[in-house]
Amino acid sequence: MTSPPLEGASADSGGWHGRLELEIAARAGRSRVVGKRQLGPLTIQRPFYPEGLPCHLYLLHPPGGVVGGDRLELEIQVAGGAHALVTAPGATKFYRSAGSLGRQTQRLVVAPGGVLEWFPHENIFFPGASVRLHTQIELSGDARFIGREIQCLGRPAIRERFGAGRAEIGMTVLRDARPLLIDRLRVAGASSLDGLAGLRGFPVCATFIASGAATDALAAARHRLSEAAGYPVGATLIDDLLLVRVLAPEVEPVGRLFVDLWADLRPNLLGLPACPPRIWAT
Amino acid sequence: MRTSIEGALPLLRLMHLASPGLPVGGFTYSQGIEWAVETGWIRDADDLEGWMADQIGSSLRYLDLPLLVRMQTAALDRGRAAMAGWVDRLLAGRETAELRREESDRGRALADLLVAWGLEDALVWKPQLARSQAAGFAFAAAAWRIEPHDAATGYAWSWLENLVLAGIKLVPLGQTRGQQTLARLATLIPSAVAAALEVSDEEIGASTPALAIASSAHETQYTRLFRS
Repeated sequence: MTSPPLEGASADSGGWHGRLELEIAARAGRSRVVGKRQLGPLTIQRPFYPEGLPCHLYLLHPPGGVVGGDRLELEIQVAGGAHALVTAPGATKFYRSAGSLGRQTQRLVVAPGGVLEWFPHENIFFPGASVRLHTQIELSGDARFIGREIQCLGRPAIRERFGAGRAEIGMTVLRDARPLLIDRLRVAGASSLDGLAGLRGFPVCATFIASGAATDALAAARHRLSEAAGYPVGATLIDDLLLVRVLAPEVEPVGRLFVDLWADLRPNLLGLPACPPRIWAT
Repeated sequence: MRTSIEGALPLLRLMHLASPGLPVGGFTYSQGIEWAVETGWIRDADDLEGWMADQIGSSLRYLDLPLLVRMQTAALDRGRAAMAGWVDRLLAGRETAELRREESDRGRALADLLVAWGLEDALVWKPQLARSQAAGFAFAAAAWRIEPHDAATGYAWSWLENLVLAGIKLVPLGQTRGQQTLARLATLIPSAVAAALEVSDEEIGASTPALAIASSAHETQYTRLFRS
């Protein structure tokens, strides 16, 4: 079922407003997109079903990226008994802003008995970008979530630092409406890129999160991380939330590390073998 | 300056609360410094100063102090549910299992002390206070009529002194060098407190990725003197 476009939303301070709401529920042994409300260019491709119940969804971000004044909102709701793996073919790009803020909000809501795997590509913050990005993960009961957020400040491949920009990057995890994790990274100016307890000059800052974890998952994650040579990594277990944090000189090894972690943990946490989405192979 | 007799007691109470001699085990935690020293992130006094200064501008300013002030208000308003909510947010802002355990272990020890001191309702509030040392500090500050601005300054000093002392042991630094570092870092506290008082509810929260990694790695560090 596809609902009519959202009403009442309009371009704001010169930018556009994109909003995508998805509802995913199990119907006849498949996790279907039973509700989709879309405004603007953020959208999804037709779901794939390479492993039965779970749907593999590809998010398509606006090709022009996000600039100052733009507002991008994504809301995904996964019902009990449904399972979605959401990924994307490319990075989200936040370009230089003339002054006004570009905003992206992601709200990921999983009901008891639901599963969401969240594997977007990295967010790339171009020098001079002014961005507020927030990801809120709302889990109810035994809802399962495995996901990652990879932030790339500047373009390390061409040794371009995120010198003149401003970014507020937030992540909140709620369980039954109580906060389990609150993280707010503020980057403004060169000194905050080199903070000794913060980014330490690394352009890439990434987090991997998995709910439903116990000490065996933590041990498995630490084993995998011991292979990550040359950049700082750490794993910890907060209640049943496994948190892996990485600082790195470039995106690619982090992406690979997180896919390996996911493959290690999926059988333990979801009772399923790793079934990588087709686009991960390209 | 407050030189009156009425002002003297809250000042003494604050010094007591901020004292490293308080039996809440402050000296047994390094909040990742032990691993940061081992891995070579903190090699000298300048590194230690930078490590602490970074936190003063982020986690102290955006997480600890804004929540401390709200916790003190909750204690003054007798709002136990509000207190529990702020404690949830503080714990959610502690980035690793070890940092969370430290917050709660020290909270339990301080809550026992508040009861022993006979602070009104300390026993009734103990379930909330025992989850967070900041909550106990705020509760005592409310009971002892310490100005929230002063309480935040004292809390910041107490936190800073404990960690710089841990750094002096771990790097190691000479006592004089360590005390110079501490004196310089103290000059950052007044503006951090002033900024923290302006932080809105929505802005509360910080992120110190290297500290989070150091603290995570400390959980499996082979030889450890400190509990965090």
